[in-house]
Amino acid sequence: MVKTLSKEEVNISELIDRPWITIVWDDPVNLMNYVTHVFIKLFGFSKEKAHELMMQVHNEGRAVVSTGTREEMERDVQRLHEHGLWATLQRDDKI
Amino acid sequence: MSNFEKVGSGYSLDLTLDEAQILINLVEQLLELLGEGDFFHHYDSSDPLAQLLAMPSEIVTPDDPVLLRLLPNAYADPEAASDFRRYTEPQLRGSKQRNLRLVREQLTVLVDENHGGVIEELDADIWLKAINDLRIALSIRLEINEESFETFEMLPDEDPQKSVYAVYFWLGWLQENLLGLLL
Repeated sequence: MVKTLSKEEVNISELIDRPWITIVWDDPVNLMNYVTHVFIKLFGFSKEKAHELMMQVHNEGRAVVSTGTREEMERDVQRLHEHGLWATLQRDDKI
Repeated sequence: MSNFEKVGSGYSLDLTLDEAQILINLVEQLLELLGEGDFFHHYDSSDPLAQLLAMPSEIVTPDDPVLLRLLPNAYADPEAASDFRRYTEPQLRGSKQRNLRLVREQLTVLVDENHGGVIEELDADIWLKAINDLRIALSIRLEINEESFETFEMLPDEDPQKSVYAVYFWLGWLQENLLGLLL
């Protein structure tokens, strides 16, 4: 059996639109453990996943921590700023 | 030496009077920099009409580098960043002010009674964020980079910046101490 999706569920414009991403940038101040703690708290990542993303920020200078609609990414950036992390949002440039 | 401890389901912090005074001074300086006004103080901030009325006419990108780091641009594009700031900066600023005020309230007890002691039942999350914002503020003034610990160690004791560096690294230690209890 196949459930018919409602009009709201099949949002064509959202499928065509590239998604938005939240990027966390490296800085020389935030402690590694603090960044890991914030990732777990805000995104519900496992300790391993949060640590991996933190290391990516540390080694590569940035990491994408969430993907979604513009509104969702604006909320994530705001919450990261409340925690003192340096974050921005943008359209995902890879298709 | 100051120390966070886990007590039952909460946390406490043991501070000397000197440490409490250093912390409260920093907290008050940062509150002053952030502005004492709190847009969400006297009414329910979830009320859309109140939010609309509270919207200040002009919110611009801060000139002060500390404020710009604490209230950063959310977009690389200046126009999008400025739009986003207009709608969200009061809330972000308010959240940082609330954290600092709570920490100040708990420190005031020690400082007013003029002795060190234990702050009981502190909210670990609020303290973490407040200490982090203090570290960020100091880091901008000190132009902290990856080599700053070496810079600090090489500074002669009579250099006035030496004690500011010492406070910065002490705050990092304090934050790490609390994180160790949470992670």
